[in-house]
Amino acid sequence: MAQITTVISKFYNEYQTKTTKKLKVIDAYLFYILLTGIVQFIYCLLVGTFPFNSFLSGFISCVSCFVLGVCLRLQVNPENKTQFYSISPERGFADFIFAHVVLHLVVMNFIG
Amino acid sequence: MRRGICLLICLTYVTALERINNQLVNKNVERSIDLTSQLVKISSAITLENTGKDSVRSFLVALEPNAVDISYINVKDSLKDDLKILPAKVDGAKDGVFYNIMLKQPVDAGRSTTVILEVVLTKRLEPYPSSITQKDKQLVRYFGNHYFYSPYVTTKQKTEVLLSSRSVENYTKLKPVAQSDSTITYGPYTNIQPFTVDEMMVHFENNSPFLTVTRLERIIEISHWGNIAIEEHIEIRHTGAQLKGPFSRYDYQRDTGSTHHSIKAYRTILPASAHSIYYRDSNGNISTSTVRPRKEWIELELRPRFPLFGGWKSSYVLGYSVPSYQYLFKKPSGEYVLTMRLIDHVFDDMFVEELETSIILPVGVSSVKIDTPYEVERLPDEVTYKYLDNLGRSVIKLRKTDLVEQHIQDFEITYDWKPQLLLHEPLSCLLEE
Amino acid sequence: MVQAGSKKSPISKINSKAGISSLIIFVVLLLAWIAGFASRLFAVIRFESIIHEFDPWFNYRATAYMVKHGFYNFLNWFDERAWYPLGRIVGGTVYPGLMLTSGSIHYILHLLHINVHIRDICVFLAPVFSGLTAISTYFLTKELWSAGAGLFAACFIAIVPGYISRSVAGSYDNEGIAIFALQFTYFLWIKSVKTGSVFWAVAASLSYFYMVSAWGGYVFIINLIPLHVFVLLLMGRYSNRLFTSYTTFYILGLIFSMQIPLVGFQPIRTSEHMAAAGVFALMFAVGILRYLQNMMTKSEFKSLVIFGGLASAGVVFLAVVILTYAGYVAPWSGRFYSLWDTGYAKIHIPIIASVSEHQPTTWFSFFFDLHVLVATFPAGLWYVIKNINDERVFVVLYALSAVYFAGVMVRLMLTLTPVVCILSGIAFSGLLELFLREDDVYHNEDSEEEEHSTPSKRLYDKLPKEAKSKLKSGKSVGNVKTPTPQVVGRVQKMKHEQSKESDGIGPNIRSVVTVVILLLLMLFAVHCTWVTSNAYSSPSIVLASYGSDGSRQILDDFREAYFWLSQNTDDDARVMSCFSNSCCIRVGLRLSNSRNGRNRTTLVDNNTWNNSHIALVGKAMSSNETAAYEIMTALDVDYVLVIFGGVIGYSGDDINKFLWMVRIAEGEHPKDIRESDYFTEHGEFRVDSEGSPTLLNCLMYKLSYYRFGELKLDYRTPAGFDRTRNAVIGNKDFQLTYLEEAYTTEHWLVRVYRVKKPDEFNRPRIPVANRVVKSPSFVSKKSTKRKKGFHKE
Repeated sequence: MAQITTVISKFYNEYQTKTTKKLKVIDAYLFYILLTGIVQFIYCLLVGTFPFNSFLSGFISCVSCFVLGVCLRLQVNPENKTQFYSISPERGFADFIFAHVVLHLVVMNFIG
Repeated sequence: MRRGICLLICLTYVTALERINNQLVNKNVERSIDLTSQLVKISSAITLENTGKDSVRSFLVALEPNAVDISYINVKDSLKDDLKILPAKVDGAKDGVFYNIMLKQPVDAGRSTTVILEVVLTKRLEPYPSSITQKDKQLVRYFGNHYFYSPYVTTKQKTEVLLSSRSVENYTKLKPVAQSDSTITYGPYTNIQPFTVDEMMVHFENNSPFLTVTRLERIIEISHWGNIAIEEHIEIRHTGAQLKGPFSRYDYQRDTGSTHHSIKAYRTILPASAHSIYYRDSNGNISTSTVRPRKEWIELELRPRFPLFGGWKSSYVLGYSVPSYQYLFKKPSGEYVLTMRLIDHVFDDMFVEELETSIILPVGVSSVKIDTPYEVERLPDEVTYKYLDNLGRSVIKLRKTDLVEQHIQDFEITYDWKPQLLLHEPLSCLLEE
Repeated sequence: MVQAGSKKSPISKINSKAGISSLIIFVVLLLAWIAGFASRLFAVIRFESIIHEFDPWFNYRATAYMVKHGFYNFLNWFDERAWYPLGRIVGGTVYPGLMLTSGSIHYILHLLHINVHIRDICVFLAPVFSGLTAISTYFLTKELWSAGAGLFAACFIAIVPGYISRSVAGSYDNEGIAIFALQFTYFLWIKSVKTGSVFWAVAASLSYFYMVSAWGGYVFIINLIPLHVFVLLLMGRYSNRLFTSYTTFYILGLIFSMQIPLVGFQPIRTSEHMAAAGVFALMFAVGILRYLQNMMTKSEFKSLVIFGGLASAGVVFLAVVILTYAGYVAPWSGRFYSLWDTGYAKIHIPIIASVSEHQPTTWFSFFFDLHVLVATFPAGLWYVIKNINDERVFVVLYALSAVYFAGVMVRLMLTLTPVVCILSGIAFSGLLELFLREDDVYHNEDSEEEEHSTPSKRLYDKLPKEAKSKLKSGKSVGNVKTPTPQVVGRVQKMKHEQSKESDGIGPNIRSVVTVVILLLLMLFAVHCTWVTSNAYSSPSIVLASYGSDGSRQILDDFREAYFWLSQNTDDDARVMSCFSNSCCIRVGLRLSNSRNGRNRTTLVDNNTWNNSHIALVGKAMSSNETAAYEIMTALDVDYVLVIFGGVIGYSGDDINKFLWMVRIAEGEHPKDIRESDYFTEHGEFRVDSEGSPTLLNCLMYKLSYYRFGELKLDYRTPAGFDRTRNAVIGNKDFQLTYLEEAYTTEHWLVRVYRVKKPDEFNRPRIPVANRVVKSPSFVSKKSTKRKKGFHKE
């Protein structure tokens, strides 16, 4: 157990030092989305999922935001430059916006 | 426009309050009642004599009070010229339908003239029994009048009833009467008073097709590119005796006799210049039809998808094209005139309950005038869009009920149109691209 | 077509500039489109421009309804005529993609004032989409291999019979557009895996959405793509690109697919979709681990993995157990079981097995549908496996799974066809490259293919020469031993080709081989045309027979009957008919009235969602007349319709399908119906005098053969000779008590009977034992259904 705590603290330090500021912003966003998702999930456990499509659209939009955020983070991360050689950070961001537009149109439709 | 017509009709009704001229006498009436088809065709040759002192310009024709289903009436003089017929109201007369006939030449006192009265009645043959099985013969009854119904005294008259077959179940026997082959002759009777009715009944076998067109929509589309497309949506119904009990294909296939009350096929006659003919229904093409070009027309043998028995109905679409030069003319004044049949032949001895003719005019016509051979109801105009149309074409719709073969007559439409508009569609096509 | 495809090589030798090659690509694709379109028109030219099959009539009717009433009304359209007395919510029980597609084409054309009738759009939709399929196949193959292979594949798919069978003009079915959507989705997916771009992933999920809206086969995509990802993971080919494309595709595809009313919440509730969700979760897990791995040392990482792994495994396991227990996740549906175990359907769900499309495929039909491609397809697969990379793993999986499914069900031949075309395209392109391309200028014909080949391809092309030289030194082909395993693989492959090429170094032999290949392709094209014109272009609603003098006679009995029903029965008449191989009846009824706005209520139709209902009809048909009358009155039936082919020898009639009906009825009412009763003692199914008495007295038999015993078809055969089964019927003289013949078509193909009202017949004395209504369970079912029916009305 103690080992795990040390691991975590080390991880924290590494994160603080190695990660660029841009990525930290994205991480904060991701963290926020994660929290929203958890809140929604707890809410549904407590209150029930009655308008099931509304719950689903909310929850899935949350997950998708998270996924898209992660994707953006991966594409923007300079460490991954070799893997995404054809995608500049700007292109990544544009894709991110595009995906969000599509996503939220559908979510709006689905939320009923 | 429509209101105008109505008003006109009202006016004629109001003004034509006639009196019965007692000076006129039917000197001789020879009547023939043709019951061979589903229609009742009565043709009477009347010799009118003026026993009074004044010359007479017009006379009255009366029909029995129950003759509400009159479809067509026509009067010819001895020279076979049509006379003018006006519906009339008669002062002090009993109920009944009257027509005032205008003579071409007045009949002077003491003189006589001969006219031929033609009347076509529909729905007068009543299947009796009203439902039969597949094997039975179709029997019908006709109820009529032994005497010629007239507002005038009839001196002498004779009636011939033509039947479709020799087998007669029963008929009223008002002497003198004789039956030979498929003809029954009543009379001669003499000195019959006006408005005398004595019921005549004939009960006989009639296997001729009792086929009614319950609705006919005729669409005429004019194209100045040289083509007139005609499409007819036809709903038909067998209005003879109802089929009782099962329909057996086995018996039907074995029974090859030609006279059967079911309807297998019928002939339609199209103009000789008709081409690209199609015959289909809502399920697609009906493959059972044959086209036989004749010298002066095209004969089309149509077989419905299934044989029609009493009470069964069917519907189909028949379309064809004719070249426009035969029907569309340009007047010296620059107007265009379309002369076409308001209704065309569907089958022999046809009876059409309701007709709606739509004429789709080309793009951009103006000052449209229409001239019909008989009274029709004009429905509100419509606008339709055809291929690559952005202006729309006006559609003129005419409606009439109760038509028979005698109604196959031409109407005329006159309109202004600029030839440049011919290029409208190709141009708009180019522009859109 | 194919000739056109192979022509590109001579043309391209003029120049190898990009401009010329793209022109060639364009021309070839256009030609492929036109050829594909034209070869699908046989049916329309021979017959007429109508919907030619029974099934698509329903789609057509729905489309016409949508065009007339608008999309939203369509979604809420409650069709109370079908499935009496339950009714059917059409909008919620169809895949609307097809109707939407043709509806929107109709709308656009009408905006331009091109007044095409919706029927014509429906008729020509499938051929037009086959062109689009060819194009998307080209792109997919280009991504996978090279442009040349793409052109081959496009030409193949344009004319291959396996695909034409579902997309001739007049077959207005979901599959027609679904194959396009399938290929396009795969193309976008490959593209997104290659680039890792979110944009392509979103496009893929949009295309997937279209696929979901069009065809139930979308499940194939949503299982194949996760499988691809999973296999890549196992092969250690995880990359962040894969992560981006899959996660984006999955989550968007998930929410898109739930927009289709018919699919609803299935993507999160049924097992078919769970694999995709599992892979999604796995992707995340792997992604996080990878991320952490970067950050930490090995030992730290290890302990974290152990702890985290244990905890998460426990959580996931618990969640799945709870969800399944609580009924949130449905088990696999019957159709899927039948995919794994071919015998399953026959035993448990006869209704599915009764559809002939669900039968296992025979070898013959593989060859019939694919011809030479069957042979070249493994070669293509081999090429691909030899030069594996991320996206080629996909096509390998696609090929393997499609081959399996096509073997299980005839119907799934359709999913196999595209991948066979792709792989054969690759094989042919590879072969031609070998034989046409040489160092000298003269043979540099497929330079255009070269231009577009991927780097790996070039590598591959060079290899043969190395290998060749090695081989020459080694002399013996089979026993070459090379130091590295890498080269071994290549040499083996060379062995495979060497057999053809060993003596083909001279230009003569090379050209001979080329000619042989071209000849093969030509034969293929001829075969395709022949199959299309003979096998797949005969509409099933119109039958054509050829007289001895070669004249063609059209038997239009189906339309005759349906038109009669539509015109001469009451508006609210209810017609009972067997489902007759998924097709005829139900849609037929629609057929008659698709445009009249009036249609007869049908009791059973193709959509197999209500088994007990069908079983009841099956029971009525297989009982004797008295028992059947009880059921028919309970169901409020007015007319009964049977298909009977005995007069003209039409084998798809109801008697031949009767056993399925019996089996379905037996499944629901085992007490009353036993399949064995319908066989003779020797276990044969016979209709002649040797047949089992139960069969000779059941309703179906009587309705089919009523008065048939008196009919003499020709002078050689005795009266009552059934041409379909080549037998004189066993029970000739019988009368119907409760029904009367209402209509029989000209060739006796469709027979309609009217059910008499209780006061219309002299009820024969029924033994007391039989007077009771048979199964109380069915009565209760009936009453509830009825209540429902009235409620909805």
